Amino acid sequence: MGAIRFDNVGRIYGNKQDGFEALKGVELEIADKEFMAVVGPSGCGKTTCLRFVAGFDRPTSGMVSVDGVKVTKPGPDRAVVFQQFALMPWKTVRENIELGLRNKGVPRAERRERIDRILALMNLTGYADAFPHQLSGGMQQRVSIARAYVLDPEVLLMDEPFGALDAQTRVVMQEELVRLARRNPRTVMFITHAVEEAVYLADRVAIMARQPGRVKEIIDIRSIREAERWDDHEKIEDVMDLESFVHLRTQIWRSLRQEKAMEIA
Amino acid sequence: MSRKAVVGGATIFAALALWYVATSVTQMISPGRFPSPADTWAAFGQITGVGYANGVLIDHVLRSVTLVTLGFLVAICTGVPLGLWMGWSRKAEALINPVFLIIRPIPPLAWIPLAILWLGLGDMAKILVIWFAAFVPSVINAYAGVRNLDKTLIEAAQMLGTPFLTFVREILLPGASPMIFTGLRLSLQASWTTLVAAELVGAMTGLGRVLNAAQQDLYPGMILVGMIVVTLCGWLMTAALGVAERRALSWNTASQAGE
Repeated sequence: MGAIRFDNVGRIYGNKQDGFEALKGVELEIADKEFMAVVGPSGCGKTTCLRFVAGFDRPTSGMVSVDGVKVTKPGPDRAVVFQQFALMPWKTVRENIELGLRNKGVPRAERRERIDRILALMNLTGYADAFPHQLSGGMQQRVSIARAYVLDPEVLLMDEPFGALDAQTRVVMQEELVRLARRNPRTVMFITHAVEEAVYLADRVAIMARQPGRVKEIIDIRSIREAERWDDHEKIEDVMDLESFVHLRTQIWRSLRQEKAMEIA
Repeated sequence: MSRKAVVGGATIFAALALWYVATSVTQMISPGRFPSPADTWAAFGQITGVGYANGVLIDHVLRSVTLVTLGFLVAICTGVPLGLWMGWSRKAEALINPVFLIIRPIPPLAWIPLAILWLGLGDMAKILVIWFAAFVPSVINAYAGVRNLDKTLIEAAQMLGTPFLTFVREILLPGASPMIFTGLRLSLQASWTTLVAAELVGAMTGLGRVLNAAQQDLYPGMILVGMIVVTLCGWLMTAALGVAERRALSWNTASQAGE
């Protein structure tokens, strides 16, 4: 299980009367094992929404819950992949991935086995004893994803995880994430500002608007992906050439552009 | 040998030669002001042989090194945890910082009279003064180390369900350790400075006592011996701390070298 629910969520910075209203009346439901991408202009509060689910921040009104239980603090049932990786520089790859398992009290032998398995899955075999600074950005982010996945969390929260990577690495990581997500489905909340990435990865895409931040529109991708058999294509560029993909991408772009236009006006 | 080492060696040799020429050949500098190499060597022979100021050299060195080490350890064992706590807890910061801000500008040496009044001329007074002196840089740097810790690392640790003690040991301490070691270096320097000053004021043995006695005896050779030995002791302890630092921060120095 791992259904996420935003119930009339608001966030005001400063006092309630004349503070800055960052989020207002956010309604969003992410079903168990669903991959939800959240896109929106910068400043719309998408990262803040993710931080509510993670338990790092709290809304000033409304409620964020997972499986009907109100989120009050961070925990390993809701693993986070950060844009800047957030690996401990003084720990090796193995020690970084191991920390969460040790905290859960997983026995040593099982830890070893689970880490070896996740390292193989993430193409990191042979790097277990390397320190993060010895790895490229893409590999560091793979370690970060491995650290999250190894905990077998109900919910995966990804905050622009590929935002700090170069374009080629990004594509490889997107393909790998699709592979991982299809084989090992989890409830995923994926923040991005790259529309293509959202369409390629997600089951549904939530489009946010700003001032105040809110969910404006939700686009279903999954039914079209399945109808048009996107997963038969192994490479991301083949999927991106499909008419159905282009159509969805354009639809989302238009919706976002309206936001931009309103900003100027 | 590198070029740098050769040049460095040559400079030192030239300085020694100049010292010899100025004091012993031309007598530009009077031996009453600054000792010749021969006077210094003789003083060294005296203090290692028959002894000077209530002891031979090793007695003075051991006494001073022991006091510095004790004072330094007491200071860092109290200062670093306090700094970590102030860095981590806003409450602790609000509670302690005002007191700290008042005490901090007091020059450590200004504590010496009070310490002697409380504890006499013995070892305890000196340890107390070293503590006051070495405490401040330990606290400030540990505090800054925690404050400068990357917030996302703290969030990552929370997200992984890290219990508090594990968090302190495996995230807070290593994360703050580059700054902590900066603090330790400053603390060690402060410890030596303060000890020598405290021993100058009053001591039975110790390197500061040697310096004080030599000054009263108008004995420049012995003064120079005292200065050289104090410098060497301080340098050796700083070097030992440097080794510990490189070990503890191997991940950090490696990452700096890699970039």
